[in-house]
Amino acid sequence: MRDEPYRWIEAIQDRRDYIEDQLRVGSPVVGLTYNEGMVLLTIGRGQRKIFEVHDRIALSAIGHPADIERLRMLVTDTASVQGFQNATEDVNLHRLTNFVLAHTFKQAFESIVGEAYIIKMLLAELGGTSEKNRFTCINYDGNVRTDTTSTVIGGTGAIEEGMQNYLAAASTDTDRDLTAALQLGLETWAVGRELSSREPEDAESEDTQIDTTQMHEIIGVAREDGEIEAGVLEIAQRGTSKFRLLAPEEIEAALP
Amino acid sequence: MNGKGNFLNRMGVEHEEFALKEVMNHKGDFLNLLKHANYSLKIDLPSDTAQHGVDVEIAHSTTVVAVRYAEGVMIAGDRRATAGTSVIYDRAEKVLQIDKHSVLAISGSPAIAYEIARVLEHSFQYFRRSQLQELSLEGKLRMLSRLIRDNLPMALQGIGGVIPIFALYDLGAADEENGGKIFFYDALGAHFENVNFATTGSGSIWIRGVLRYLSRFGDTPLQEMDEQQATITILRLLDTASEYDAATSGYNARAQIFPNVKTVTRIGVEDISDDELEARYAEAQS
Repeated sequence: MRDEPYRWIEAIQDRRDYIEDQLRVGSPVVGLTYNEGMVLLTIGRGQRKIFEVHDRIALSAIGHPADIERLRMLVTDTASVQGFQNATEDVNLHRLTNFVLAHTFKQAFESIVGEAYIIKMLLAELGGTSEKNRFTCINYDGNVRTDTTSTVIGGTGAIEEGMQNYLAAASTDTDRDLTAALQLGLETWAVGRELSSREPEDAESEDTQIDTTQMHEIIGVAREDGEIEAGVLEIAQRGTSKFRLLAPEEIEAALP
Repeated sequence: MNGKGNFLNRMGVEHEEFALKEVMNHKGDFLNLLKHANYSLKIDLPSDTAQHGVDVEIAHSTTVVAVRYAEGVMIAGDRRATAGTSVIYDRAEKVLQIDKHSVLAISGSPAIAYEIARVLEHSFQYFRRSQLQELSLEGKLRMLSRLIRDNLPMALQGIGGVIPIFALYDLGAADEENGGKIFFYDALGAHFENVNFATTGSGSIWIRGVLRYLSRFGDTPLQEMDEQQATITILRLLDTASEYDAATSGYNARAQIFPNVKTVTRIGVEDISDDELEARYAEAQS
Protein backbone atom coordinates (compact mmCIF):
# COMPACT_ATOMS: atom_id res chain seq x y z
CA MET A 1 0.00 0.00 0.00
CA ARG A 2 3.00 2.29 0.60
CA ASP A 3 3.76 1.97 -3.13
CA GLU A 4 0.55 3.83 -3.77
CA PRO A 5 0.79 7.18 -1.95
CA TYR A 6 -2.82 8.14 -2.46
CA ARG A 7 -4.12 4.95 -0.88
CA TRP A 8 -1.70 5.34 2.02
CA ILE A 9 -2.85 8.90 2.71
CA GLU A 10 -6.45 7.77 2.43
CA ALA A 11 -5.82 4.94 4.87
CA ILE A 12 -4.17 7.34 7.32
CA GLN A 13 -7.14 9.71 7.06
CA ASP A 14 -9.56 6.83 7.66
CA ARG A 15 -7.53 5.84 10.67
CA ARG A 16 -7.55 9.42 11.97
CA ASP A 17 -11.34 9.63 11.57
CA TYR A 18 -11.81 6.30 13.33
CA ILE A 19 -9.58 7.25 16.29
CA GLU A 20 -11.13 10.69 16.72
CA ASP A 21 -14.60 9.19 16.63
CA GLN A 22 -13.56 6.77 19.40
CA LEU A 23 -11.96 9.53 21.48
CA ARG A 24 -14.75 12.09 21.10
CA VAL A 25 -16.82 10.94 24.07
CA GLY A 26 -13.81 10.45 26.38
CA SER A 27 -13.93 12.26 29.72
CA PRO A 28 -11.63 15.30 29.37
CA VAL A 29 -8.68 15.89 31.69
CA VAL A 30 -7.58 19.28 32.99
CA GLY A 31 -4.07 20.10 34.20
CA LEU A 32 -3.41 23.22 36.26
CA THR A 33 -0.62 24.66 38.35
CA TYR A 34 -1.38 26.08 41.78
CA ASN A 35 0.70 27.81 44.45
CA GLU A 36 2.04 24.53 45.88
CA GLY A 37 2.32 22.32 42.82
CA MET A 38 0.33 20.89 39.94
CA VAL A 39 -3.03 19.14 39.76
CA LEU A 40 -4.60 16.78 37.20
CA LEU A 41 -8.37 16.42 37.37
CA THR A 42 -11.10 14.46 35.62
CA ILE A 43 -14.37 12.67 36.35
CA GLY A 44 -14.13 8.95 35.69
CA ARG A 45 -16.46 6.01 35.76
CA GLY A 46 -14.70 3.46 37.91
CA GLN A 47 -11.48 3.05 35.95
CA ARG A 48 -8.59 5.03 37.43
CA LYS A 49 -7.26 7.68 35.06
CA ILE A 50 -4.54 9.57 36.94
CA PHE A 51 -1.25 7.83 37.66
CA GLU A 52 2.17 8.33 39.21
CA VAL A 53 4.99 7.69 36.70
CA HIS A 54 8.04 8.77 38.67
CA ASP A 55 9.06 11.01 41.57
CA ARG A 56 7.96 14.24 39.91
CA ILE A 57 5.97 13.01 36.90
CA ALA A 58 2.26 12.15 36.70
CA LEU A 59 0.16 10.90 33.80
CA SER A 60 -3.43 10.92 32.66
CA ALA A 61 -5.02 9.94 29.36
CA ILE A 62 -8.22 9.47 27.46
CA GLY A 63 -8.79 6.57 25.11
CA HIS A 64 -9.07 2.82 25.17
CA PRO A 65 -8.26 1.44 28.63
CA ALA A 66 -6.03 -1.32 27.20
CA ASP A 67 -3.97 1.22 25.24
CA ILE A 68 -3.72 3.55 28.22
CA GLU A 69 -2.49 0.68 30.38
CA ARG A 70 0.03 -0.52 27.82
CA LEU A 71 1.56 2.93 27.30
CA ARG A 72 1.40 3.77 31.00
CA MET A 73 3.47 0.65 31.68
CA LEU A 74 5.92 1.55 28.91
CA VAL A 75 6.62 4.98 30.35
CA THR A 76 6.61 3.76 33.98
CA ASP A 77 9.00 0.90 33.20
CA THR A 78 11.32 3.15 31.24
CA ALA A 79 11.37 5.83 33.93
CA SER A 80 11.98 3.20 36.64
CA VAL A 81 14.91 1.60 34.80
CA GLN A 82 16.37 4.98 33.92
CA GLY A 83 16.00 6.25 37.50
CA PHE A 84 17.75 3.15 38.85
CA GLN A 85 20.57 2.92 36.31
CA ASN A 86 21.45 6.60 36.49
CA ALA A 87 19.73 8.76 39.08
CA THR A 88 16.15 9.79 39.65
CA GLU A 89 17.14 13.37 38.73
CA ASP A 90 17.99 12.11 35.24
CA VAL A 91 14.40 11.07 34.58
CA ASN A 92 12.61 13.95 32.94
CA LEU A 93 9.59 14.57 30.80
CA HIS A 94 11.58 15.81 27.82
CA ARG A 95 13.49 12.54 27.52
CA LEU A 96 10.47 10.34 28.13
CA THR A 97 8.42 12.25 25.59
CA ASN A 98 10.95 12.53 22.83
CA PHE A 99 12.84 9.26 23.16
CA VAL A 100 10.03 6.92 24.19
CA LEU A 101 6.47 8.07 23.76
CA ALA A 102 6.23 10.37 20.72
CA HIS A 103 7.86 7.99 18.28
CA THR A 104 5.95 5.00 19.72
CA PHE A 105 2.67 6.84 19.11
CA LYS A 106 3.72 7.95 15.63
CA GLN A 107 5.00 4.55 14.59
CA ALA A 108 1.77 2.82 15.65
CA PHE A 109 -0.39 5.46 13.99
CA GLU A 110 1.39 5.29 10.64
CA SER A 111 1.79 1.51 10.51
CA ILE A 112 -1.54 1.12 8.84
CA VAL A 113 -1.45 -2.66 8.84
CA GLY A 114 -0.95 -2.74 12.60
CA GLU A 115 -3.12 -1.63 15.47
CA ALA A 116 -3.19 2.07 16.29
CA TYR A 117 -3.30 3.41 19.82
CA ILE A 118 -6.59 5.06 20.66
CA ILE A 119 -5.19 7.53 23.13
CA LYS A 120 -4.36 11.10 24.00
CA MET A 121 -1.94 11.44 26.87
CA LEU A 122 -1.25 14.26 29.32
CA LEU A 123 1.91 14.24 31.44
CA ALA A 124 2.82 16.71 34.18
CA GLU A 125 6.31 17.34 35.53
CA LEU A 126 6.93 19.26 38.74
CA GLY A 127 9.99 21.44 38.23
CA GLY A 128 12.50 22.60 40.82
CA THR A 129 10.84 26.03 40.59
CA SER A 130 7.34 26.93 39.40
CA GLU A 131 8.78 28.33 36.15
CA LYS A 132 10.05 24.85 35.33
CA ASN A 133 6.69 23.08 35.72
CA ARG A 134 5.68 21.42 32.46
CA PHE A 135 2.56 19.89 30.97
CA THR A 136 3.05 17.78 27.85
CA CYS A 137 0.18 16.48 25.73
CA ILE A 138 0.87 13.73 23.21
CA ASN A 139 -1.66 13.14 20.46
CA TYR A 140 -2.38 9.66 19.08
CA ASP A 141 -0.29 10.56 15.97
CA GLY A 142 2.78 11.48 18.03
CA ASN A 143 2.38 15.25 17.92
CA VAL A 144 3.49 16.92 21.12
CA ARG A 145 2.26 20.13 22.75
CA THR A 146 3.88 21.68 25.83
CA ASP A 147 2.37 24.18 28.29
CA THR A 148 3.60 25.68 31.52
CA THR A 149 0.59 26.78 33.60
CA SER A 150 -2.45 24.88 32.32
CA THR A 151 -3.50 22.37 29.70
CA VAL A 152 -6.36 20.11 28.67
CA ILE A 153 -6.96 16.96 26.69
CA GLY A 154 -10.38 16.31 25.22
CA GLY A 155 -11.87 14.05 22.59
CA THR A 156 -11.36 16.42 19.64
CA GLY A 157 -9.44 19.55 18.79
CA ALA A 158 -12.67 21.57 18.96
CA ILE A 159 -13.43 20.36 22.49
CA GLU A 160 -9.90 21.20 23.61
CA GLU A 161 -10.13 24.63 22.01
CA GLY A 162 -13.40 25.36 23.83
CA MET A 163 -11.87 24.30 27.13
CA GLN A 164 -8.69 26.30 26.50
CA ASN A 165 -10.79 29.37 25.70
CA TYR A 166 -12.68 28.99 28.97
CA LEU A 167 -9.43 28.60 30.89
CA ALA A 168 -7.88 31.64 29.23
CA ALA A 169 -10.91 33.76 30.11
CA ALA A 170 -11.36 32.47 33.66
CA SER A 171 -7.86 31.96 35.01
CA THR A 172 -6.57 35.39 35.82
CA ASP A 173 -5.07 34.37 39.16
CA THR A 174 -1.88 32.42 38.51
CA ASP A 175 -1.18 32.13 42.26
CA ARG A 176 -4.38 30.21 43.00
CA ASP A 177 -4.57 27.71 45.86
CA LEU A 178 -5.56 24.05 45.48
CA THR A 179 -9.25 24.73 46.18
CA ALA A 180 -9.39 27.39 43.46
CA ALA A 181 -7.52 25.11 41.07
CA LEU A 182 -9.95 22.25 41.71
CA GLN A 183 -12.94 24.51 41.15
CA LEU A 184 -11.50 25.93 37.94
CA GLY A 185 -10.57 22.43 36.79
CA LEU A 186 -14.11 21.16 37.35
CA GLU A 187 -15.65 24.10 35.50
CA THR A 188 -13.29 23.55 32.57
CA TRP A 189 -14.11 19.84 32.64
CA ALA A 190 -17.83 20.71 32.49
CA VAL A 191 -17.21 22.85 29.38
CA GLY A 192 -15.43 19.91 27.77
CA ARG A 193 -18.20 17.48 28.71
CA GLU A 194 -20.84 19.78 27.29
CA LEU A 195 -18.95 20.14 24.01
CA SER A 196 -18.35 16.41 23.72
CA SER A 197 -22.08 15.73 24.14
CA ARG A 198 -22.90 17.94 21.13
CA GLU A 199 -22.88 16.74 17.55
CA PRO A 200 -19.39 17.13 16.03
CA GLU A 201 -20.40 20.07 13.83
CA ASP A 202 -21.99 21.89 16.83
CA ALA A 203 -18.91 21.39 18.97
CA GLU A 204 -16.91 23.43 16.49
CA SER A 205 -19.27 26.42 16.72
CA GLU A 206 -18.16 29.61 18.41
CA ASP A 207 -20.78 29.26 21.10
CA THR A 208 -18.96 27.53 23.95
CA GLN A 209 -20.48 29.70 26.67
CA ILE A 210 -22.26 27.88 29.46
CA ASP A 211 -23.25 29.48 32.73
CA THR A 212 -22.35 28.37 36.25
CA THR A 213 -25.70 26.72 36.90
CA GLN A 214 -25.29 24.59 33.78
CA MET A 215 -21.76 23.67 34.84
CA HIS A 216 -22.95 22.49 38.24
CA GLU A 217 -25.72 20.49 36.60
CA ILE A 218 -23.24 18.81 34.25
CA ILE A 219 -20.90 18.01 37.15
CA GLY A 220 -23.83 16.74 39.24
CA VAL A 221 -25.02 14.41 36.47
CA ALA A 222 -21.48 13.14 35.87
CA ARG A 223 -21.06 12.39 39.58
CA GLU A 224 -24.20 10.24 39.65
CA ASP A 225 -22.36 7.44 37.86
CA GLY A 226 -18.79 8.60 38.24
CA GLU A 227 -16.29 10.10 40.66
CA ILE A 228 -14.08 13.15 40.62
CA GLU A 229 -10.48 12.04 40.47
CA ALA A 230 -7.62 14.42 41.17
CA GLY A 231 -3.91 13.81 41.60
CA VAL A 232 -1.33 16.35 42.69
CA LEU A 233 2.41 16.79 42.44
CA GLU A 234 3.09 18.69 45.64
CA ILE A 235 6.26 20.61 46.41
CA ALA A 236 5.69 20.13 50.16
CA GLN A 237 5.19 16.35 49.92
CA ARG A 238 7.75 14.62 52.17
CA GLY A 239 10.28 12.33 50.54
CA THR A 240 11.33 12.13 46.92
CA SER A 241 7.95 11.08 45.48
CA LYS A 242 5.81 14.17 45.06
CA PHE A 243 2.65 12.53 43.74
CA ARG A 244 -0.48 11.66 45.65
CA LEU A 245 -4.13 11.13 44.78
CA LEU A 246 -6.44 13.50 46.63
CA ALA A 247 -8.77 11.85 49.15
CA PRO A 248 -12.53 12.12 48.41
CA GLU A 249 -12.99 14.42 51.43
CA GLU A 250 -10.32 16.83 50.15
CA ILE A 251 -12.13 17.03 46.82
CA GLU A 252 -15.51 17.37 48.52
CA ALA A 253 -14.22 20.28 50.60
CA ALA A 254 -13.31 22.16 47.44
CA LEU A 255 -16.74 21.82 45.84
CA PRO A 256 -18.96 24.91 45.91
CA MET B 1 20.89 4.75 16.63
CA ASN B 2 20.06 7.02 19.54
CA GLY B 3 22.42 6.30 22.42
CA LYS B 4 20.04 8.14 24.81
CA GLY B 5 23.02 9.91 26.30
CA ASN B 6 24.58 6.63 27.39
CA PHE B 7 28.20 6.25 26.31
CA LEU B 8 28.01 2.47 26.45
CA ASN B 9 25.11 2.54 24.01
CA ARG B 10 27.06 4.81 21.64
CA MET B 11 29.93 2.36 21.75
CA GLY B 12 27.56 -0.38 20.64
CA VAL B 13 27.82 -2.29 23.88
CA GLU B 14 24.75 -4.38 24.68
CA HIS B 15 23.41 -2.24 27.50
CA GLU B 16 19.83 -1.19 27.01
CA GLU B 17 19.50 1.72 29.31
CA PHE B 18 16.34 3.29 28.07
CA ALA B 19 14.68 1.71 25.08
CA LEU B 20 12.51 -1.10 26.38
CA LYS B 21 11.55 -2.48 23.00
CA GLU B 22 8.32 -4.06 24.11
CA VAL B 23 6.08 -3.77 27.09
CA MET B 24 6.04 -6.88 29.25
CA ASN B 25 3.94 -7.43 32.30
CA HIS B 26 6.43 -7.74 35.14
CA LYS B 27 3.62 -7.86 37.72
CA GLY B 28 5.38 -5.20 39.74
CA ASP B 29 8.63 -7.19 40.02
CA PHE B 30 11.45 -4.68 39.67
CA LEU B 31 14.13 -7.38 39.42
CA ASN B 32 12.34 -8.86 36.39
CA LEU B 33 12.16 -5.41 34.86
CA LEU B 34 15.91 -4.89 35.33
CA LYS B 35 16.56 -8.30 33.77
CA HIS B 36 14.38 -7.34 30.80
CA ALA B 37 16.46 -4.16 30.45
CA ASN B 38 19.68 -6.25 30.43
CA TYR B 39 20.83 -4.83 33.75
CA SER B 40 22.68 -7.36 35.86
CA LEU B 41 22.83 -6.97 39.61
CA LYS B 42 25.19 -9.89 40.08
CA ILE B 43 28.96 -9.70 40.03
CA ASP B 44 30.68 -12.71 38.46
CA LEU B 45 33.86 -13.59 40.29
CA PRO B 46 36.44 -16.15 39.18
CA SER B 47 35.66 -19.50 40.82
CA ASP B 48 39.07 -19.67 42.55
CA THR B 49 38.21 -16.64 44.68
CA ALA B 50 35.74 -18.75 46.62
CA GLN B 51 36.61 -19.83 50.13
CA HIS B 52 34.43 -22.92 49.73
CA GLY B 53 32.38 -22.05 52.74
CA VAL B 54 35.10 -22.74 55.29
CA ASP B 55 34.91 -20.53 58.36
CA VAL B 56 33.68 -17.53 56.46
CA GLU B 57 33.17 -14.64 58.77
CA ILE B 58 31.11 -11.70 57.62
CA ALA B 59 32.91 -8.45 58.32
CA HIS B 60 30.39 -6.14 59.96
CA SER B 61 32.35 -3.40 61.64
CA THR B 62 29.67 -1.13 62.96
CA THR B 63 26.84 -0.87 65.47
CA VAL B 64 23.22 -0.39 64.47
CA VAL B 65 20.40 -0.68 66.96
CA ALA B 66 16.60 -0.52 66.82
CA VAL B 67 14.18 -0.29 69.75
CA ARG B 68 10.41 -0.39 69.81
CA TYR B 69 9.22 2.61 71.84
CA ALA B 70 5.77 4.03 72.60
CA GLU B 71 5.10 5.57 69.18
CA GLY B 72 6.84 3.10 66.87
CA VAL B 73 10.46 2.20 66.25
CA MET B 74 13.60 4.23 66.85
CA ILE B 75 16.59 3.08 64.83
CA ALA B 76 20.16 4.36 64.93
CA GLY B 77 23.65 3.71 63.68
CA ASP B 78 27.13 5.04 64.35
CA ARG B 79 28.98 6.90 61.56
CA ARG B 80 32.36 5.13 61.34
CA ALA B 81 33.53 3.21 58.27
CA THR B 82 36.66 1.11 58.62
CA ALA B 83 39.00 -0.93 56.47
CA GLY B 84 40.91 -3.32 58.69
CA THR B 85 42.22 -1.23 61.52
CA SER B 86 41.99 2.07 59.64
CA VAL B 87 39.14 4.55 60.01
CA ILE B 88 38.42 5.61 56.43
CA TYR B 89 35.30 7.74 56.88
CA ASP B 90 33.52 9.25 59.87
CA ARG B 91 30.26 10.38 58.31
CA ALA B 92 28.87 7.12 56.90
CA GLU B 93 25.07 6.83 56.72
CA LYS B 94 24.05 3.41 57.95
CA VAL B 95 20.35 4.03 58.55
CA LEU B 96 18.65 4.41 55.19
CA GLN B 97 15.05 5.36 54.53
CA ILE B 98 13.49 2.93 52.04
CA ASP B 99 10.00 4.34 51.77
CA LYS B 100 7.61 6.49 53.73
CA HIS B 101 7.25 3.91 56.53
CA SER B 102 10.35 1.72 56.38
CA VAL B 103 14.04 1.97 57.17
CA LEU B 104 17.01 -0.33 56.64
CA ALA B 105 19.98 -0.24 59.02
CA ILE B 106 23.00 -1.87 57.46
CA SER B 107 26.04 -3.71 58.70
CA GLY B 108 28.48 -5.60 56.53
CA SER B 109 29.92 -4.80 53.14
CA PRO B 110 28.93 -1.19 52.37
CA ALA B 111 28.90 -1.57 48.57
CA ILE B 112 26.48 -4.48 48.68
CA ALA B 113 24.43 -3.03 51.53
CA TYR B 114 23.90 0.30 49.76
CA GLU B 115 22.99 -1.53 46.56
CA ILE B 116 20.49 -3.72 48.41
CA ALA B 117 18.94 -0.59 49.95
CA ARG B 118 18.74 1.08 46.53
CA VAL B 119 17.17 -1.96 44.85
CA LEU B 120 14.72 -2.25 47.73
CA GLU B 121 13.69 1.41 47.49
CA HIS B 122 13.18 1.23 43.73
CA SER B 123 11.35 -2.11 44.03
CA PHE B 124 8.77 -0.72 46.46
CA GLN B 125 8.29 2.37 44.29
CA TYR B 126 7.97 0.30 41.13
CA PHE B 127 5.39 -1.98 42.69
CA ARG B 128 3.31 1.01 43.84
CA ARG B 129 3.54 2.80 40.51
CA SER B 130 2.88 -0.20 38.30
CA GLN B 131 0.34 -2.13 40.39
CA LEU B 132 -1.40 0.97 41.82
CA GLN B 133 -1.13 -0.26 45.39
CA GLU B 134 1.50 -0.40 48.12
CA LEU B 135 3.47 -3.64 48.47
CA SER B 136 2.23 -5.51 51.54
CA LEU B 137 4.32 -5.80 54.69
CA GLU B 138 4.96 -9.49 53.98
CA GLY B 139 5.86 -8.63 50.38
CA LYS B 140 8.44 -6.10 51.56
CA LEU B 141 10.00 -8.61 53.96
CA ARG B 142 10.24 -11.26 51.23
CA MET B 143 11.76 -8.82 48.76
CA LEU B 144 14.59 -8.11 51.21
CA SER B 145 14.97 -11.86 51.88
CA ARG B 146 15.35 -12.47 48.17
CA LEU B 147 18.04 -9.80 47.80
CA ILE B 148 20.03 -11.14 50.74
CA ARG B 149 19.70 -14.73 49.49
CA ASP B 150 20.78 -13.69 45.98
CA ASN B 151 23.87 -12.19 47.56
CA LEU B 152 24.86 -15.45 49.24
CA PRO B 153 27.74 -16.26 46.82
CA MET B 154 29.37 -12.93 47.70
CA ALA B 155 28.82 -13.55 51.40
CA LEU B 156 30.35 -17.04 51.14
CA GLN B 157 33.41 -15.60 49.46
CA GLY B 158 33.88 -13.42 52.48
CA ILE B 159 33.71 -10.12 50.62
CA GLY B 160 30.08 -9.08 50.41
CA GLY B 161 28.08 -10.23 53.41
CA VAL B 162 25.27 -8.02 54.69
CA ILE B 163 23.28 -8.41 57.91
CA PRO B 164 20.64 -5.69 58.09
CA ILE B 165 17.88 -4.68 60.47
CA PHE B 166 14.64 -3.72 58.76
CA ALA B 167 12.19 -1.54 60.69
CA LEU B 168 8.79 -0.48 59.49
CA TYR B 169 5.42 0.74 60.66
CA ASP B 170 2.41 -1.42 59.89
CA LEU B 171 -0.36 0.97 58.87
CA GLY B 172 -2.83 -1.91 59.20
CA ALA B 173 -2.39 -1.78 62.99
CA ALA B 174 -5.34 -0.42 64.97
CA ASP B 175 -5.09 3.21 66.14
CA GLU B 176 -4.44 2.24 69.75
CA GLU B 177 -1.82 -0.37 68.77
CA ASN B 178 1.86 0.25 68.21
CA GLY B 179 2.42 -0.77 64.58
CA GLY B 180 6.22 -0.48 64.83
CA LYS B 181 7.97 -3.70 63.79
CA ILE B 182 11.63 -4.74 63.82
CA PHE B 183 13.00 -7.57 61.68
CA PHE B 184 16.41 -9.18 61.81
CA TYR B 185 17.86 -11.14 58.87
CA ASP B 186 20.48 -13.85 58.65
CA ALA B 187 22.95 -14.22 55.76
CA LEU B 188 20.64 -16.68 53.98
CA GLY B 189 17.74 -14.24 54.00
CA ALA B 190 15.61 -15.74 56.77
CA HIS B 191 13.81 -13.01 58.69
CA PHE B 192 12.79 -12.99 62.33
CA GLU B 193 10.65 -10.45 64.08
CA ASN B 194 12.34 -9.01 67.14
CA VAL B 195 9.59 -7.77 69.37
CA ASN B 196 11.29 -5.06 71.40
CA PHE B 197 14.81 -4.52 70.09
CA ALA B 198 17.48 -5.66 67.65
CA THR B 199 21.13 -4.85 67.20
CA THR B 200 23.79 -5.99 64.80
CA GLY B 201 27.38 -5.21 63.87
CA SER B 202 30.64 -5.73 65.71
CA GLY B 203 29.62 -3.48 68.60
CA SER B 204 26.30 -5.22 69.12
CA ILE B 205 27.71 -7.84 71.49
CA TRP B 206 28.45 -5.11 74.04
CA ILE B 207 24.89 -3.79 74.15
CA ARG B 208 22.61 -6.75 73.46
CA GLY B 209 22.57 -7.73 77.12
CA VAL B 210 21.89 -4.14 78.16
CA LEU B 211 18.93 -4.01 75.78
CA ARG B 212 17.57 -7.22 77.23
CA TYR B 213 17.99 -5.84 80.75
CA LEU B 214 16.27 -2.54 79.92
CA SER B 215 13.45 -4.28 78.12
CA ARG B 216 12.83 -6.74 80.96
CA PHE B 217 13.83 -4.87 84.12
CA GLY B 218 14.23 -1.18 83.23
CA ASP B 219 12.37 1.45 85.32
CA THR B 220 10.58 2.33 82.10
CA PRO B 221 10.58 -0.65 79.72
CA LEU B 222 11.79 0.21 76.20
CA GLN B 223 8.35 -0.21 74.69
CA GLU B 224 6.86 2.34 77.08
CA MET B 225 9.49 5.04 76.57
CA ASP B 226 8.56 8.30 74.89
CA GLU B 227 10.72 9.71 72.11
CA GLN B 228 12.98 11.68 74.44
CA GLN B 229 13.66 8.70 76.73
CA ALA B 230 14.23 6.40 73.78
CA THR B 231 16.68 8.86 72.19
CA ILE B 232 18.72 9.18 75.39
CA THR B 233 18.77 5.38 75.78
CA ILE B 234 19.92 4.82 72.21
CA LEU B 235 22.67 7.45 72.50
CA ARG B 236 23.90 5.82 75.72
CA LEU B 237 23.89 2.39 74.05
CA LEU B 238 25.93 3.62 71.08
CA ASP B 239 28.29 5.37 73.46
CA THR B 240 28.76 2.09 75.34
CA ALA B 241 29.40 0.16 72.11
CA SER B 242 31.98 2.73 70.98
CA GLU B 243 33.81 2.37 74.27
CA TYR B 244 34.56 -1.33 73.62
CA ASP B 245 34.40 -1.68 69.84
CA ALA B 246 37.06 0.08 67.76
CA ALA B 247 34.89 -0.03 64.65
CA THR B 248 32.08 1.96 66.29
CA SER B 249 32.29 5.71 66.68
CA GLY B 250 30.80 7.74 69.48
CA TYR B 251 29.70 11.37 69.47
CA ASN B 252 32.42 13.57 67.96
CA ALA B 253 32.01 16.85 69.86
CA ARG B 254 34.78 18.68 68.05
CA ALA B 255 33.45 17.94 64.56
CA GLN B 256 29.81 17.83 65.68
CA ILE B 257 29.25 14.38 64.18
CA PHE B 258 26.27 12.58 65.66
CA PRO B 259 24.91 9.09 65.04
CA ASN B 260 22.04 8.74 62.56
CA VAL B 261 18.82 8.40 64.53
CA LYS B 262 15.43 7.99 62.85
CA THR B 263 11.91 7.32 64.09
CA VAL B 264 9.40 5.17 62.20
CA THR B 265 5.87 6.00 63.33
CA ARG B 266 2.36 6.16 61.91
CA ILE B 267 3.14 9.53 60.33
CA GLY B 268 6.24 8.17 58.59
CA VAL B 269 10.02 8.16 58.87
CA GLU B 270 11.60 11.20 60.51
CA ASP B 271 15.18 12.18 61.32
CA ILE B 272 16.05 13.37 64.78
CA SER B 273 17.91 16.59 64.09
CA ASP B 274 21.50 17.24 65.12
CA ASP B 275 20.32 20.09 67.38
CA GLU B 276 18.01 17.76 69.22
CA LEU B 277 20.68 15.07 69.43
CA GLU B 278 23.09 17.59 70.91
CA ALA B 279 20.56 18.49 73.59
CA ARG B 280 19.83 14.80 74.31
CA TYR B 281 23.56 14.06 74.50
CA ALA B 282 23.89 16.64 77.26
CA GLU B 283 21.08 14.86 79.14
CA ALA B 284 22.52 11.43 78.32
CA GLN B 285 25.81 12.30 80.04
CA SER B 286 24.11 13.26 83.29
